[in-house]
Amino acid sequence: MDNPISYVFSCLFVLLAHAAMLVNVFINGSYSSFSDALLLAGAVLILDMAYFIAMLFFRQSSHTIDFLLILILNMSVIFQSCFGGVHFAAKHYITAIAALFACRGGYLLCRNHKWIQQQRKYFYIAIAVLILAILTLTGSRSMWIHIGSATIQPSEFIKPLFVLACATTISEQQKKHKVLCFNVVYENTALFGLIMVICLLQWWCRDLGSLPTFVGIYISGFMLRICYPKAKLSKKSFIIAGILLAVTALLAMKFAPDYAKERLHSDIWNDRDGTGYQQSRALIAIADGGWFGKGPGKGGLCNVFAHDNDIVFATICEEWGLLYGLMMICVLLIMIAIPLINPPRSYFHGTMAAGICAAFTVQMALNIFGSCNMIPFTGVTIPFISAGGSSMIVSGFMIGMLCATQSPYFSAPAAGKRNRLPAGRRQKI
Amino acid sequence: MDTTNLILCAVAAAALDICALVLILAAYAERKSERQRWGELTGNMELSERGTAYPLDCDEILIGRHASADIRLEDLSVSRYHAMLTISKGKWTITDMGSKSGVFVNGNLVRQAALKENDIINIGSKRLVFRKRREKNG
Repeated sequence: MDNPISYVFSCLFVLLAHAAMLVNVFINGSYSSFSDALLLAGAVLILDMAYFIAMLFFRQSSHTIDFLLILILNMSVIFQSCFGGVHFAAKHYITAIAALFACRGGYLLCRNHKWIQQQRKYFYIAIAVLILAILTLTGSRSMWIHIGSATIQPSEFIKPLFVLACATTISEQQKKHKVLCFNVVYENTALFGLIMVICLLQWWCRDLGSLPTFVGIYISGFMLRICYPKAKLSKKSFIIAGILLAVTALLAMKFAPDYAKERLHSDIWNDRDGTGYQQSRALIAIADGGWFGKGPGKGGLCNVFAHDNDIVFATICEEWGLLYGLMMICVLLIMIAIPLINPPRSYFHGTMAAGICAAFTVQMALNIFGSCNMIPFTGVTIPFISAGGSSMIVSGFMIGMLCATQSPYFSAPAAGKRNRLPAGRRQKI
Repeated sequence: MDTTNLILCAVAAAALDICALVLILAAYAERKSERQRWGELTGNMELSERGTAYPLDCDEILIGRHASADIRLEDLSVSRYHAMLTISKGKWTITDMGSKSGVFVNGNLVRQAALKENDIINIGSKRLVFRKRREKNG
């Protein structure tokens, strides 16, 4: 380990943050049985300890994102366990553990950029399989696959694959081909086709809330292609892309389903018991909670549908206060901003980090601004905070990809051979 | 709102605040050790041109006149996308990207060449030295 002191301090302060929350639950929480609160505390602290130990087995040069992940995941477990009275949210706890495993998977998959760039065709195949699964298994124009009592949202799993498709193709910018009078990069055309297919699929499945997330990932990937030194993208192609985007947005507005159009113009205060039911209750709850909240488990918003995912920010603000709600968002933003402190060493990792930041930022913005009536209401989740297995596992995987940008694999120099190449090996013209 | 609730919420918020701060400081500490590790992997090299040192912080570094170049040489004799420095297994290689004036390493015109310490690279009218990184004075 490179920094044992910072590792130990990070462990202690993550424990301190969770302990402070648990003390609040014990003294101030609304619980019927003390054992419920005790079970919650035990589960949170055991998961903390187990992850701190597990981290030692992964030889990473940076652990900050891991600490931020366990901090936010256990915060989320405590929040979810307090909605409607303190109890242990076992399902959410299990999905949090699954997210930690997914994080390790994402890290191991993406740390070697040379290897993963050679596997890019598999990402396209995986996306195609998921699209087929959505079209054939979700039923009529739905986005859920029902397996017994569990439901899976396959479109969530397309997000990390799409980020990988954007990142693994960035090194192909130099390979231009003449098609008629245009210089075409096949990979860029394939990616554009892919985003179009995904947009159509989201429209077909009536999951317009996820559409901005995919568009956000694509735009970040496109912008990085312009910045990529070998790309040589002209202003002309940038203008054409802008026009295409504007036309697509206009067409989307025109052909959007009626319920989506209605949300664009609805007045939640005039229709408090209709289309504005959730948003009006959410805003009242945030105001009720004030800066410091009513106390864990003492909120009333838990009686409103989707209080633990679509309007989870308002539920947290009501029970824990606006101050705590904003700080929770701040922790999430710090987690995705870590690559700014320690910039990635390859364009692949840079593009991947940008795509993940775009996806998380768009999701958080849609959820928070939507529940505060600043934009039309969508059913998008806040990563790690909202309940939902698919979202949790995918977010964990994407954070694992972000960890890979911080601890990438680069082959070490061959011992004793560094800088000893004879001049004769140079390829002269 | 009772005082206990206010104090407990404020304490929890303060603990989270301090924790976030500690983790940001840890990220800065890790950045330092990551730079050291990168230096060990890449031989701690830099390019120097008339007293200006360009650190080699990425596995692909573009040298050229264009604004997107990592090492920007503002001279008309330098092409917009002139040459690319890449690293593999601790070995830096320079590749001509189809420039007009070519890339010269120790006076030899090359399309691609592995670099060693103190090699002189001529790009247009610019002369760069591939050397060990030197700590800044003061």
